[in-house]
Amino acid sequence: MSLRRAGAVARRIVLQFRHDRRSLALLFVAPMVVLTLVGALWGSPATNTVRVVSAGDVDPQLFEALRGTEIELTVLDRDAALDALKAGRADAMVEFAENAATVTVEGSDPTRTGAIVGQVQAALTHLILEVPLAAFVKVTYLYGGPGYGLLDYLAPVLIAVFAFFFVFLLSTVSFLRERTSGTLERLLATPLTRGELVLGYLGGFALFALLQALVILAFTVFVLKVQYRGNLATIFVVEAVLVVGAVSLGLAISAFARNELQAVQFVPLVLLPQVFLSGFLVPVDQLGDVLRAIAAVLPLTYANEALRSVMVKGYPVTDPLIVRDIGILAAFAVAMAVAAVVSIRREVA
Amino acid sequence: MDAVLAVEARDVRKGFGPVTALDGMSLAVKPGEIYGLLGPNGSGKTTLIRTLAGLLRPDAGEVRVLGLAPRAAVSSGAVGYMTQSPALYAELSVDENLRFFAALEGVTDADARVEEALRRVDLLDRRRATAGTLSSGMRTRVSLAATLLHQPRLLLLDEPTVGVDPALRRDFWQHFRSLAATGVTILVSSHVMDEASRCDRLGLIRSGRLLAEGSAGELVARADAADLEGAFLALAAATA
Repeated sequence: MSLRRAGAVARRIVLQFRHDRRSLALLFVAPMVVLTLVGALWGSPATNTVRVVSAGDVDPQLFEALRGTEIELTVLDRDAALDALKAGRADAMVEFAENAATVTVEGSDPTRTGAIVGQVQAALTHLILEVPLAAFVKVTYLYGGPGYGLLDYLAPVLIAVFAFFFVFLLSTVSFLRERTSGTLERLLATPLTRGELVLGYLGGFALFALLQALVILAFTVFVLKVQYRGNLATIFVVEAVLVVGAVSLGLAISAFARNELQAVQFVPLVLLPQVFLSGFLVPVDQLGDVLRAIAAVLPLTYANEALRSVMVKGYPVTDPLIVRDIGILAAFAVAMAVAAVVSIRREVA
Repeated sequence: MDAVLAVEARDVRKGFGPVTALDGMSLAVKPGEIYGLLGPNGSGKTTLIRTLAGLLRPDAGEVRVLGLAPRAAVSSGAVGYMTQSPALYAELSVDENLRFFAALEGVTDADARVEEALRRVDLLDRRRATAGTLSSGMRTRVSLAATLLHQPRLLLLDEPTVGVDPALRRDFWQHFRSLAATGVTILVSSHVMDEASRCDRLGLIRSGRLLAEGSAGELVARADAADLEGAFLALAAATA
């Protein structure tokens, strides 16, 4: 193993990037653009106002009671109320009869339905009890806090997904070009060994991958102002191991593609299961047995767990869970690098 | 003691699935010799060269390059392989491409070697040009320069002068001749007869086998033909 030759490969990759300003710009600008959009989407204080229409008149006292809550009540006749609900101008319709209230919700979006029903129920309960709810339920936070929003919860996963995605795509396509352009064959007819080649690629790409990881992290923390507890350096260490694994995976995967079009088709295959199963949308421990088994072999599962634990809960790098996750990610990176070496066969027909 | 043969292949067989590319190929090239592999498309020229460059493992038979297994010879930096289509990094400049290959071959005085190689292929004035912007003939020349950088003792050239104009082709051959005079062995494949006639010895190959071997003059005489092309056609027909 000659580090000098591996270094020559790494240097060449850096040079290629320097000549390819567009890819370089994409590498750093694209994640910022996407993060800005996502930040605007999930970071803005969501309008929690629930628009309730009542079918028919209500006790004027009700308006007084709802003041200062997030419920906005409008009185309409029953048909108009139903129309408003259908058209999406209202979130819920209430009909009062004697001592009961019937609440009709639009119901097509399960995530919103739950919140609406909860708020309306709480408001009506509070009305009946004539005691402010806050008087006997006191909420304190183990993690997070009253200002802790969806973006704060999702940011660790976004950091992982973006760092992984862009670097994986780039290393897959670059290495594929080495294979298809005939330069791989030429390289293999020099003293360069396959191990040196993969090491050189890892070195060259890791440089950009780590810079990108740094940019993503800095952007998330300082521009999007995501709340975090743990040490920034710890977050970066987890990110770093993850992106090196993404480069190795890209190198190994490129062996299965014959051209760039096929390579790009591997991206959803590699990325989507990780987005869905790694704890981004549904916590891993809530998955079924089969899906949980799949999640267990996905690197993003461990990156998400570690990043969330550090950012949201403030775990230190020495915490056994973080050590374990970093270890698994590092093992993944090494395994994929070995797979990449094996995938480079001198014997190419 | 006999000088170690530069290239030695004995009864080499190599197939790719149903296709037999080399079918009992035997060949011996002496050090300092310019040996031409002459044969039609698909006759096994490139497969033989790739086997000698350590890129393919023969199914049967034995291959020695400078007395070593092919990969060992390549690893020692003694072999220069020029692929049929130029293998360069399109985004990099000519200079950067050459420096990269020099580093892989462990060339110590890269500045001087790159400059000399570029002068040799008459591209010194284009050294800052991006490889991807060069004409195909120029890329072929850069590719040859990359093969010469580490002063290999054996050059494996797969159709090196495709797309190179006649004047430069003559210069190339003069250079090949002067390299051979210093003991460098050159194995060159071609289907250009004028080029073949410049080799010390020629091997006519077809269907992965050596049909006939000898200097251009010997082959013409043996086939009782007017020229090399006639000899090639006659010999190929006689052994078919």
